[in-house]
Amino acid sequence: MPHDLTKVGSAQTPAASAQPGGPGSGQPAGAGPGHPAGAGPVDDSAAALAGLDALDTPTVQRAPRWRRAVAVGVPPLVALALFLAVWQGLWAAAFWPEFKLPAPVSVWHEFTVVVANGEVWSILWTSISRAFLGFLIALVIATPLGLLVAKVAVVRAAVGPLLSGLQSLPSVAWVPAAVLWFGLTNSTIYFVVLLGSIPSIANGLVAGIDQIPPILPRVGQVLGARGLTSARHILLPAALPGYLAGCKQGWAFSWRSLMAAEIIAAGPLLGIGLGAYLEQGSSFNNISMVIAAIFLILIVGIGVELLVFRPVERRVLRARGLSGTH
Amino acid sequence: MTVTIGQPTERRTPAGPGPAAVRLAGVSKTFGTGAAAVTALRDVSLDVRPGEFVCLLGASGCGKSTLLNLVAGLDRPTGGELTLNTTRPSFMFQEPALLPWLDAGRNVELPLRLNGVARGARRDRARELLELVRLDGQARKRPHELSGGMRQRVALARALAATTQPGDPDATGLLLMDEPFAALDAITRDVLQGELLRVWQATGTTVLFVTHDVREALRLAQRVVLLSSRPGTVAGEWDVEHSTTDLYDEITASLREVITRHAA
Repeated sequence: MPHDLTKVGSAQTPAASAQPGGPGSGQPAGAGPGHPAGAGPVDDSAAALAGLDALDTPTVQRAPRWRRAVAVGVPPLVALALFLAVWQGLWAAAFWPEFKLPAPVSVWHEFTVVVANGEVWSILWTSISRAFLGFLIALVIATPLGLLVAKVAVVRAAVGPLLSGLQSLPSVAWVPAAVLWFGLTNSTIYFVVLLGSIPSIANGLVAGIDQIPPILPRVGQVLGARGLTSARHILLPAALPGYLAGCKQGWAFSWRSLMAAEIIAAGPLLGIGLGAYLEQGSSFNNISMVIAAIFLILIVGIGVELLVFRPVERRVLRARGLSGTH
Repeated sequence: MTVTIGQPTERRTPAGPGPAAVRLAGVSKTFGTGAAAVTALRDVSLDVRPGEFVCLLGASGCGKSTLLNLVAGLDRPTGGELTLNTTRPSFMFQEPALLPWLDAGRNVELPLRLNGVARGARRDRARELLELVRLDGQARKRPHELSGGMRQRVALARALAATTQPGDPDATGLLLMDEPFAALDAITRDVLQGELLRVWQATGTTVLFVTHDVREALRLAQRVVLLSSRPGTVAGEWDVEHSTTDLYDEITASLREVITRHAA
């Protein structure tokens, strides 16, 4: 039973040693001079293979955890401290009046006020929930769109340039139109967020699919993957790094579009998000509040990047041996 | 073109008699039409017995990739007839072409998964095949954690998973190999050639192996078929198994002759 592997495994030793140089038993000088394998007993070839594997296997050296934590954590903290020091110095030098450049302490104070009265949570929730909901809707629309553009030539020719163009169009340009169409409602906000993030996600997926090495779809075909099966088992996983990069950019676009929409479109139906909070500060001529709002927007952006996208991306890239660092 | 899957054959020991596993009868392949037409293969006739190991030897442009694609069913001949008497043929390329997001075990499982084999069964089968290529215990490793030779052995296990059917001992598998060791260093290549012979013996699979290397062809094959270039035709055939002389010089001379024809 040649297919019976267990049997074969035990039978293979005598068989192979009886026929050095392979199954072509009549094989003459066959491999010619300088033909090492098969000269010794078969156990030798197993050992040689094991030795070769041990020698050739890539070794990975990883620094201890604490050292990596220091390497990752210390530089940004130092940069932040330097930034605060320069700010404090500039403020102390009094080049600009107080209403233009506030003291770091007064921004901090403004920040503690919103935190103390609990307003900060409702502000953050309003904005983050909108951005996430918008981002999720964008994902649902952009993923099939990206697949279509990448795989159907006619669609790519028709929509591809438009999609790239939309990516460079600042989504804030849509706000006035959206206000006229939808009024000061949540629809306006979501419309702007979607137009900001869909092109990025779709383009990311297209780029991810375009960068798949051609051998992989071929392997899928040889192994019996067709159509949707091929998309599920080969195409989408292979395009995942590019798709993730697109999602990350799509999130960034959705967040900044949201801020633009919230700053411009303020109304009683809309509730107070981070953008409206910033706009309030500006209306009250309260520079500390404006700066505090900007920091909050920045912190949310960095937080989502660090807590959501970075770990996912790291896992995906590391599993493929694409990025051992950071 | 008739493809009969799983038709019983009388014997599957290497090079056993019986109906041909692969039969090419006057197969031609032309790409394009009119003045721009390129003939890649012209009137190629070749019988491969079940369990036989045949090396196709040829310089660039001999249409060997075209030939393998035809046998694999990725392309159709424009003339002649191609008959397969094996299970689904599987392919090995110069690069291992493992899916980088799957570990070694899951790469081997993939063809079984695509063919709807249940999880437990395909896991067992993958373990068996990894053992066969002497990669026991490496199933959880990702491709980038393996050496080039180990990756190529995972690819071999995956190709075997695609073409062999443990439940049906009457079905002979067909391995199409397109210079699978060409990108490896000399030491690894030498060891893997020995491994391929051992695995071929163990599984009784029919092998169609393309190479540029006369020594490799002589070491591996029972029969060497020399293809000429542009268009590809059969330019010579040597029975290595039953030959009593060293065919190296003879085959090399023929290969040179075929190449020299293109000097003008």
